[in-house]
Amino acid sequence: MRQYELTEDEKDVLQELMNVAYGNATAVVADMLDAFASLSIPNIRVLTTHELLSTFTQLKAQSYFFATQAFSGEFSGESAFFIDQESANNLAKHLELDNAEDLDDAILELTNVLTSSLTTKLSQEMDTEVSFSLPSLSRVSLNNIQKTPTFQHYSQVIVIDTDLNFQDQKIHGKIFILTKDESIQWLKTKLNSILELLI
Amino acid sequence: MKYLVVDDSKLARLSLVKSLKSQVPDAEIFQATNGQEAVEIMLQEKTEIIFLDLTMPIMDGYETLPKLLEIDSKAKIIVVSADVQTKAKEKVIALGAQLHMQKPINLDKMKEILEII
Repeated sequence: MRQYELTEDEKDVLQELMNVAYGNATAVVADMLDAFASLSIPNIRVLTTHELLSTFTQLKAQSYFFATQAFSGEFSGESAFFIDQESANNLAKHLELDNAEDLDDAILELTNVLTSSLTTKLSQEMDTEVSFSLPSLSRVSLNNIQKTPTFQHYSQVIVIDTDLNFQDQKIHGKIFILTKDESIQWLKTKLNSILELLI
Repeated sequence: MKYLVVDDSKLARLSLVKSLKSQVPDAEIFQATNGQEAVEIMLQEKTEIIFLDLTMPIMDGYETLPKLLEIDSKAKIIVVSADVQTKAKEKVIALGAQLHMQKPINLDKMKEILEII
C-alpha cells in the first residue's frame, strides 16, 4: 500500500477550502434548525483506518448515531456525521420530536443537508462535480464502531474532521470526509494547482 | 495606505493580498496569522484598513475586532469569513465591523469592498 502524506501547504489549502465549504453547510443547517452554530477550525490528517478508529477511544459517550453519505466523481469517498445519544436527544427536544422514528428521520435529513452542502461546496472550490448516494444511519456502541461498514472500505484515509456545535441547544457532532487512495492523489494534484495559481 | 490581512490560512492571505494588490498596486500590506499578531502589528503600524478572519487559533476574530478598534476607533474592519450565518454577520457589525464578506475574496468582491469603504 502506498503511503500518502500531505505537505503543510497542501493541508493549509484543504483546510481553507473546507472552512469555506463548512461555513456554507453550517449556515444551511443553522437556518433549518433556527439556531446559531460556532465554527471550529477543520483538522486535516492522513490516517490509516486503524489509526482513525483508535482516536475514537478518546470519546466519552457509549452510544452514537453514525450517518454516512457516499459521493463519487474525480473526488470520491464518504462523508460521515457522528452524533452522541445526548446530542440526539437534545436535537429531538429542539425539534419537538416525540418518537425514535422521527428522530432517525431528522438525523438523516440533517446529515443529508450537512454533508451534501459541504461536499458540493468543497467540490465547487476544487472545480469538479460529485454525485451522491442516499445517506444511511446506524446506531453504534463505541465498542462496535470498528464493525461499521464505512471503516471496512478504506485502508488509508484523509480525515477532514470538524465539529458541529450548537451551544445553546447542546447539540454537538463531528463530521468526517473519508477519501480513497485514488482520490488522495487527485486531491494532492488539485491542491497544488490551486496554490500555484496564487504564487 | 496601510492594510492588514489577518487569517491563519496562507491560501486565504495569498488570495486576498493578490486581489488587493491588483486593485491598489502601491498598498502597504501587513499580514498576521491570528488575532494576537494582528493586535501587535496594529499597535506598531496603525493600519487603516483591516481584513479580519473569524475562525482562527490563539485569538479569534470576535475577540480581536474590539481590541483593534480600541487601538484606533477610525480603523475600517472588513470581516472576511466562511461563517455566513445571519447571527454571525449581525454580531460582527454590532462589534463595529464595516462589512462582513463571504470567503473567498476574488477580484470582483475586492472591487466591491473598496468601493463601499
